[in-house]
Amino acid sequence: MVELVPTLLRQELARLAEDDLRLDGRGRWEGREVTLETDCLYNAEGSAKVVMGDTIVYAGVKFELRTPWPDRPAQGSLMCGAELRPVAHRKYEPGPPSPQSIELGRVVDRGIRESGCIDMESLCIVPGEKVWGVMIDIHVLSDGGNIFDACGLAAIAALRTAVVPAKRFDVGEDYTLKVNGTPIMSSFTRVGGRYIYDPSEEEELGGDERIHITLGDEGHLHSLQKGLRGVFTPAEFAEIFEVAHLRCTELRKLVANQEGN
Amino acid sequence: MGGYGDVQLLRDDGLRLDGRKIDEMRPVAIEAGVLPAADGSAMVTHGLNVAVAAVYGPMEAHPRKIQRQDRAVIDVRYNMAPFSTSDRIRPGYNRRSREISKVTAEALESVVLVERYPRSKIRVEIEILAAEAGTRCVGITAAAVALADAGIPMRDLIVGVASGKVEDTVVLDLDKAEDNYGQADLPVGILPNTGEIAFLQMDGDLSPDEFNLAMEYNFKAAAEIHEIMVDALKRRYEGGEN
Repeated sequence: MVELVPTLLRQELARLAEDDLRLDGRGRWEGREVTLETDCLYNAEGSAKVVMGDTIVYAGVKFELRTPWPDRPAQGSLMCGAELRPVAHRKYEPGPPSPQSIELGRVVDRGIRESGCIDMESLCIVPGEKVWGVMIDIHVLSDGGNIFDACGLAAIAALRTAVVPAKRFDVGEDYTLKVNGTPIMSSFTRVGGRYIYDPSEEEELGGDERIHITLGDEGHLHSLQKGLRGVFTPAEFAEIFEVAHLRCTELRKLVANQEGN
Repeated sequence: MGGYGDVQLLRDDGLRLDGRKIDEMRPVAIEAGVLPAADGSAMVTHGLNVAVAAVYGPMEAHPRKIQRQDRAVIDVRYNMAPFSTSDRIRPGYNRRSREISKVTAEALESVVLVERYPRSKIRVEIEILAAEAGTRCVGITAAAVALADAGIPMRDLIVGVASGKVEDTVVLDLDKAEDNYGQADLPVGILPNTGEIAFLQMDGDLSPDEFNLAMEYNFKAAAEIHEIMVDALKRRYEGGEN
């Protein structure tokens, strides 16, 4: 679907930006309320639902037994994919995975993979023969803006509650998947000329480029992505990086609280 | 049907494996207006099944060739999430989901007043988040509530229900084991007010008497689910929100 360029919306956003205001009254670095629910899907070995304003996302974890890659005989694998189903917004059409959904899945995947929170060797059952393949599938049900952060949060929360279904595959007793860390993504979009945290649907529609930052428990960077047309300065990045630290820490606490520790 | 013989599906006390009576359905809960981005939406929990439906439109029908000069077309997509079943499903459309989407669309076109919207399209998206037998029926129920939530005029609601046969006994609302090892499955879409049927499929083996009994159970269950659907829609608009 062709998105009409919302000139009036852009003008309004630029006008608000002059007074450092946002359409929904939030502060520049203020996120929407986030609710997280885990273990909410029967049949998924780990699952999570994230509601962030009008955005609703589910993530489910499944396991497969597979033969390891020849060059890594003692390592399992991790795959994270996102689907922008037509259910989520009128702008999404059916068909093969769109470039947007591929980018989304890969950015979330990198954040989790590169944080090292999953020890790939612990997924090995018989070296060279049998390893676990961990699949995180993210299902966006309602796109109300900033689906990147919602997907990242749902994915790691689902992963952290996953139980390896060893019994069903006849390779021992079920056990909780070991996850060492909680990588969290924070996303920023340029709206009315300056960056804001956690863009709403309108802010994305009338905004410009976006930056996604995934930070690990120690505050280390694990994944960065710039999307859409636009440029930014190092000073701008330094500013949002500070904010990302704060927001990632808050969301990490939310995940920990959900797990009851 | 998956075959019959070695799996006991009815207990010695005459109840089913999950403790239900022969003509008892699994618990059903419905919420309307669950997806902010959609024009209408609903979530239906039926036993362990979870289905979410979203409605977009009426909108311009494209590609052009699907347009009908005298009425709207209903474009249904039934999709199972990769994590909705025991073994992961590869994302994407398959033959099963295509067929279910087609017959579901035809069922919905039978209740929606499509002639009010010539040359347009109403998109109905059904996502199965958790599957435990009977997902097509749960999807139909969710779609009907979502259409009503979107304010699209309909002759009646439509309720998806199924009965079947296990161990030579007709039972209402098959669960997963009964669906896998039972002898027949009869999913229908019932218009609760008019008593008409807009969706019908069946596989397995049923005698005429068994068919009649299975239908009787289906109508009974449809009346129960209808009340829950109406209640969900009332709750959606009583609160004063939206």
